[in-house]
Formats: sequence, structure tokens, C-alpha cells
Amino acid sequence: MWFTLSYVAWALSAVLAAWMLFDWFKTDTTYSEDVLTSSREGEIEAATEKHKL
Amino acid sequence: MPKYIPPEQPKVMQVIDIAFIVVAIFVALWLPLKLGLAGVSKAIDKIENPTWESLGQNPTMVGFWEKLGYDPTTAHDIIQNKFHYTWDITTLLVMVVVVVGYFIFLFRASDKEYREVIDEKFGDKK
Amino acid sequence: MTDAAITTSPSTVAPGQRVSLLRVLGPAHVWALGVGIVLVGEYTGWNFAVDKGGSLAALIVCWFIGLLYTSVAMIDSEVTSTVAAAGGQYAQAKHIVGPLMAFNVALYLVFAYTMLEVSDAILVGDLIVTVAGTEGLERHAFVVLTIVVLAWLNYRGVLMTLNVNFVITAIAYVAIIILFFSVQPWSQGTVLKLGDLITPENALPYGWIGVLAAFHFGIWFYLGIEGTTQAAEEVRSPARSLPYGTMAGMITLLIGAAMTWYVCASLLPWEYLGFTFFPLFDAARATGSGFLETLLFWGTVLAAVASANGCINDAARAWFSLGRDRYLPTWFSAVHPKYRTPYRSILFLLPIALAFAFIADLNQAITFSILSGLLGYTFMSINIMMFRRKWPLGSIRRGYTHPFHPMPAIALLSICVITYFAVFLGYGSQLIAMTLFYIVVSIWFHFYRYKYVRRGDQFTMPWPKPIGY
Repeated sequence: MWFTLSYVAWALSAVLAAWMLFDWFKTDTTYSEDVLTSSREGEIEAATEKHKL
Repeated sequence: MPKYIPPEQPKVMQVIDIAFIVVAIFVALWLPLKLGLAGVSKAIDKIENPTWESLGQNPTMVGFWEKLGYDPTTAHDIIQNKFHYTWDITTLLVMVVVVVGYFIFLFRASDKEYREVIDEKFGDKK
Repeated sequence: MTDAAITTSPSTVAPGQRVSLLRVLGPAHVWALGVGIVLVGEYTGWNFAVDKGGSLAALIVCWFIGLLYTSVAMIDSEVTSTVAAAGGQYAQAKHIVGPLMAFNVALYLVFAYTMLEVSDAILVGDLIVTVAGTEGLERHAFVVLTIVVLAWLNYRGVLMTLNVNFVITAIAYVAIIILFFSVQPWSQGTVLKLGDLITPENALPYGWIGVLAAFHFGIWFYLGIEGTTQAAEEVRSPARSLPYGTMAGMITLLIGAAMTWYVCASLLPWEYLGFTFFPLFDAARATGSGFLETLLFWGTVLAAVASANGCINDAARAWFSLGRDRYLPTWFSAVHPKYRTPYRSILFLLPIALAFAFIADLNQAITFSILSGLLGYTFMSINIMMFRRKWPLGSIRRGYTHPFHPMPAIALLSICVITYFAVFLGYGSQLIAMTLFYIVVSIWFHFYRYKYVRRGDQFTMPWPKPIGY
């Protein structure tokens, strides 16, 4: 039984890894690099929190 | 101070940079293992024909050992496997110099870079 | 609830709109992230302190290291409730000490968490193989499954990831509490035999040098609680949630550590306690109760899974931040437009974790993690002093101000020094090798890589100019 389980584990890992690779490929080809890397540090911070007393 | 415009890095160089970091990580973590530098001086002080008594176990301890499925022979290697804490001052000094030197370099170089950052960020306003 | 949160997040991005991480977490998630990463330390790892110095030494370091981490939690809460950005200590270092320090700190984080993740996965695999007791069964399949499933979960969204972490961490913690109360802790001698197991002869088998050496693995009682800061960009109200979640987590862990030591030291002879990989599970076995044994088996598995899960989350955020500031290629700073996660960083670190899961063993992986953590704590103690000097109280708004400054920073630095010595006693050459690695990459960064980094843009906090510049 344990050997069957370990084969199931391999299979499941492969499926999930393949899904991630597929989604990665799909995302990278759908959106432009500028959109994907548009996150900036402290952006929301500057809008919501005022560091003045 | 004029704004610093970094050069664009070609794609190939980006890949090489990443490869450098990854290789460095593997070398740092893996090499000590391969060279057998990792680990401690632990050695088994052998006792011939061990009994619970010669292993220094009292009845309560024996009770727990037996519950976990051990007898004196199988427990021997666990009980008698002992550390031998020895160190030499040279290695200690090397370590101190390396670690302290590293932090000094780190803070100094960071400070130099930090001043540029602050100059550029706050340069035109007081 | 969580499904709704994922599907309602905008799946299309309007032109000109920026894709950032989602602000969806509350204090409970911060707690789950912090305690989730650490709790596995009670299930395994801390007990190697017993090996190094005996049961009493483990208790002494449990208290001292508890002090270290209380300082860490207080210092971290103050700085991070003020510098609320993904990358946690990385963003702190960047704003307070400088870019090179930040680069190093991010690497400490990635190392500490990735190696911890590897240890967790190995632990799950080993435990399953132990319980299966089948000849020829290898742990690899279960190790890989653990890492891949959790990476997938992280890929799909932070809210679901940390909801899962909250539930499994809570179960693992309750398991310790149930074990504690079912062995009648109030009456020594009934089930627990502390007095017989710890005798004057074996309390400190190596004397005080053993106590010093035990600091090395004593770190494991709490290692990773500082990871709460990585969530800074994803919590709804960082100034409130981060201190609250971190402190609550620290209290949870102090109680958990005390219970764990008491039960284990009262049920297992110290030589065995220092040898086993599953102290709580074995303590449950020593009670002879099948229910407790099953419970603590699942507790161990869940604690390890929760830890690996939090580690993937944290390591990916640190790596992501490096890309965002161009310390590494910006390619890594991509955020998934639908799931709003740093998906490329998650995917990039996945094969690295898998590789180490195959080549390292548990003890070594733990040591790598501890060393990187230790370098990070050394930084933190100096960092807070510089923070208070450059922006004194009152000059900027802090979400939380920690008391007794500079006592916690000094305590933290002193305990770090002791721990360096402890590491030296067992893994001195590894510490030197790791430091050399950091020196090499620092030189690389300072003299080469930094030219691709924009200068003023790195400073993103809306603060006044620091004093002294």
C-alpha cells in the first residue's frame, strides 16, 4: 500500500508542477512584462499612512 | 546631485548573474558537506556487554527505554555516543576575525551606498 | 470565504493599473505565519540541545533564547510596523543601514527559510517512512509532494495559504496542549517522572560548556518568528496587525516551549531525547496511549507542513523584493495578475529546495538555517540602534514603540555572541564557510551588481531625512 501511495505522491507532484509551469507560461504570454513587474514598494503606504505627527 | 541612471543590463548578463548566485549558494552549502567539514566530534565510548546498570540507567529510565522498544545492546550506541568538546584558540580567532571583519565591511560599504541614496532622495530639498 | 476572495480579485488588469500584492490579511494570519513556521521546532530540533548539554541545559537555553526572541519580536514589531514592505527585514535594512546590508539580509532570509522548508519536508518524509515501517520505502516521494503542494498553494494566493496555515498550526498547537494535560502535569510521579529522569549526575552531563553548546539548537525553539514581517505588504493594517500578531505568536511559543520541555524531559531519558527526531511523538508513545500517539503523529506532520508553507511564503517575498529593487534582475519582481503572488520567485526557489531536499540531511539543513538566522539577529540588534538614532521617537509615526530601549538590543547582541560560540563548538568550519560566501557575494554586489540599481528610488518611505546625513 505504501508503495502505491508513493507513486500517487509522485504523480500528484508532477501534475501540480505541470500546472504551475503551464500557468506561468500562459501568464507570461498574456500580459506584458511592464504590467507584471509594475509593483512598487511603499506605494500603498504613501497613500494611506502619513508619517507626520 | 544628478540623478544616477543605471545602465540597462542585457538579458544574457541577467541570466549569468542569477547563475552566479545559485552556484555560490550551492558551493557554500554543499562543499562543507562534501569535504566532511560539517559535524561535530561525537564518538561512541564503547562498553563491552552493556547492561542497563553499566549504562547508568535507573529503573524509571529502563521502563521508558523498554516502552520505546530498546534493550541494553540497542540503546548502547545512543547512550554512549558522547560529545568531546575541545577547541583550539586559532580556529576561534579565525572565526572571530572572519565574522567581525565581514560585519565591518558590510556596515562600511552599506554606509557609503546609503549616503548616495539619501543624497539623491533628499538632495534638492532640505 | 477564501474561494470568494480569490475569484473576486480582479482577473483582468486595466491599462496603466499596477499589479501589486493583495492586502487581505489580518492579525490571525500574521500569527499563523509566525507560529506556523516555528512550531515545528517544538516537534523536532530543540531536543538536539538536550544532546549537546543535557535536559537541564535545554531548559536554561529555552529561557535565555526565549529572551533573545522576545527582544527580536519587540524590535521587529517596532521597525516593521513603521517600514511596512514585503521583504521585512530586507526593507528595514535598506532604509536604515544601506543597500549592501539589505542585499545580505535578504539572502539570510532566503537561506534560513529555504533550508527550514527543506528540513520540514525531510521530516515529513522521514516520519511517514518510520510509521509505514515498510522495507525499501524511500522518503523522496513524500518530501517532493510536500514541497510541490505547498508551492502550488502559495502560487494560488496568500489568503488561502495562510488560512490553511492558521488551521493546521492551531491543530498542531492544541495537540501539544492535549498531550500536556493528559499526562497529569500537576502530579509528578503518576505519569511524569522528572525527578527520576533528571538526576544530579545527568542534569548537566558536560557541565557548563554543554550549556553553552546547547544554545546552538536552543534557537530552534523559536526560529522563524521574525518571519511575520514578510507579510507586511499584504496585511490590511500593518501598523496594528504586525505587532499584535507577532507578540501573540511569541507568547504562544513561550508557553508551547515550556510545555514541550516539561513533558518530554519527564517522559524520555535524556540520551534518547537528544537522539530522536520526534521528541513529542516519542513522548506520546512513552505514555502508552494510542490516541496520544496518533494525535502527536498528526501534530508533527501538520507542524512541519505549516512551517514549510510559511517558509515558501517568506523566502519568495524576500527574493521578490530583491528583484523589485533591481538587486537581482527585475524579472523576479513579477506579480501574478490573478493570484497576486510573487509567482516567479516561488517557482524559482522550488527546484532549489527540491535539490537540497535530496542532497542534505536533516541536521545539516537545520544548521544552515540556524546560521543564517543568527547572522540576521546580529543585524537586527544593530539595526534598531541605528533606527532610533536616525529617526528618534517623535520624528516619524511608529505603529508600535518597544519599551526599555536599548536593553533588548543589547540583550539580543549578547545572546548572539554566545550562540556564535556555541555554533563554533560544533559547526565552526561551516560558519566560516558561510561567512566567506557572504563576503564573496557582498564584494560581487558592492563592486559590480550595484551599478544596475537606481539610487534614490530605493528609499520609498515618506519619512524626513535621517539625522546625521
